[in-house]
Amino acid sequence: MSDDLQLLWFTLGTASLATALIFPFGVLAGAGLARWRGPGSGLVETALSLPLVLPPTAVGMVLLELLGRKFGLGQALDAAGLDVVYTWKAVVLASAVMGFPLLVRSARSAFEGVDPRLAGISRTLGRGRVQTFLRVSLPLSWRGVLAGAVLAFSRALGEFGATFLVAGNIPGRTQTLALAIFQRVQLGEDAAAFRLVALTTALAFAAIWVTERVTRRRPAPAGKGAG
Amino acid sequence: MIELDFRAPLASFTLEVRVTLESTSVAVLGPSGAGKTSLLEVLAGLRPARGKVVVDGQPLLDDGAGVRLAPEARRIGYVPQDALLFPHLTVRRNIEFGMRADARAVVDAIGLLELSPLQDRRPETLSGGERQRVALARALATSPRLLLLDEPLAALDVELKERILPYLVRVRDEARVPFLYVTHQVGEAEAVATEALVLDAGRVRAHGPAREVLPGAAEPGTSYENVLVGNLRGGRLVLPGGGTLVVPPAPGLPEGARVAYSVPAEDVLVSAHPLDGVSARNVIEARVAAVGEVGAEAQVRAEAGGFEWHAKLTTAASRELRLAPGAQVWLAVKTHSLRRLR
Repeated sequence: MSDDLQLLWFTLGTASLATALIFPFGVLAGAGLARWRGPGSGLVETALSLPLVLPPTAVGMVLLELLGRKFGLGQALDAAGLDVVYTWKAVVLASAVMGFPLLVRSARSAFEGVDPRLAGISRTLGRGRVQTFLRVSLPLSWRGVLAGAVLAFSRALGEFGATFLVAGNIPGRTQTLALAIFQRVQLGEDAAAFRLVALTTALAFAAIWVTERVTRRRPAPAGKGAG
Repeated sequence: MIELDFRAPLASFTLEVRVTLESTSVAVLGPSGAGKTSLLEVLAGLRPARGKVVVDGQPLLDDGAGVRLAPEARRIGYVPQDALLFPHLTVRRNIEFGMRADARAVVDAIGLLELSPLQDRRPETLSGGERQRVALARALATSPRLLLLDEPLAALDVELKERILPYLVRVRDEARVPFLYVTHQVGEAEAVATEALVLDAGRVRAHGPAREVLPGAAEPGTSYENVLVGNLRGGRLVLPGGGTLVVPPAPGLPEGARVAYSVPAEDVLVSAHPLDGVSARNVIEARVAAVGEVGAEAQVRAEAGGFEWHAKLTTAASRELRLAPGAQVWLAVKTHSLRRLR
């Protein structure tokens, strides 16, 4: 049971961290893609969505290579004395990469739903680009942005393939709920696996329920006719 | 003073404007799709253009000198056709939105546009006219050096009491902010502007003093509204030129209040002889300034006490009365044909 709790906290922790890590970048990328229609924007969008359609193990493989000694990223981390592969950091990284496209896509369609002329009006009222983004574009699309963050978070909760490759499945160190279920089943501990399934289900249910509650549009106040 | 010399590519033609606007109240007219809204957008910095835009000596756009001020640096208030209020903010928060909207300017704008009862409302609960007023207040609260107003296309259908015009008169006379006003109503333009610019397919078709330019600017098929702005005294509307009109009672308005009334050209009766024994409460002695005939319709313009009345009658009637410039006529206007603009 205490193992289950440790798994729960570890999974929640890495998923939260992964979501927090990608949030600012995902929101900016979504806002950028919503407005920018230059040459190559389609290419960028496709590339950003790749993790959604690739087998997670393929993504994990690429990450593993990038973090290895052959590439600058791996060398830099090595020089800084940062071990990522087969640590909790790799769990966060894999979940972040897999969740990123979900956040970007959801944020992008939310920003696309905001009349771009509202931003123009804000500018004529003396608000610069940053202020306009923070006071107009973001408040008008926060529902979609939040939904995207929850999707990314949920994806991180259930991430398996990529995590397995870059972080392994080390009990107490890199094992998440999803990885633990797999291990328990392999060991023939079906009852223990089902307990974890129940825990995961409760978690997913809570995440979706909270989002639905928060993002549901309140009906417009009725009964106030034109004056 | 606004110096314009620019080109802006639009979907079906290039907007090419080369004109110097001298006055502080300019009406912009022209058929739908002539480029009126685009002109305002170029001035506000919301539409790319090449050339020069100079307001009161300050270049906002000058390709030669590499000047291209961002919209937020221009201090130009813009009220678009559909008002574009921020839907997530209350009326009050909308008005407070501007960077330079200090507390006093906000209170003044709310007062001038009579918005205090609406302060806590959300934009989606407002009528079209109310939205326009809020958008005007929002722009005004930033103390702009120039206001750009785009009357809704549907303005012809908007109920008279919803029109922005009387408020614009207040902005002109009390807040004294210069403005460009896009409208379809020649009568309104005459009432509010001293200078007029007529656009057609992206070019300047006419420009000059409102009195000279506007009579030829009416769009075919639209009716003409005589717009009278004056002060209420003892149940009568006293016009700046000295004339008085009996108007329908306006309960709640204080003596001396500045109000605007409108009467369609087809509701003005023209007589070649003095009228007595008629029920119309307003009989005005006037002199014909011009008669224009389009098909079976005749537009008669007649001057009385500094105001130029427009009347619409059939060509047959106009000929029968032998209406010609200089002729003396009597105009009859029923009290209830005069409708108050808000």
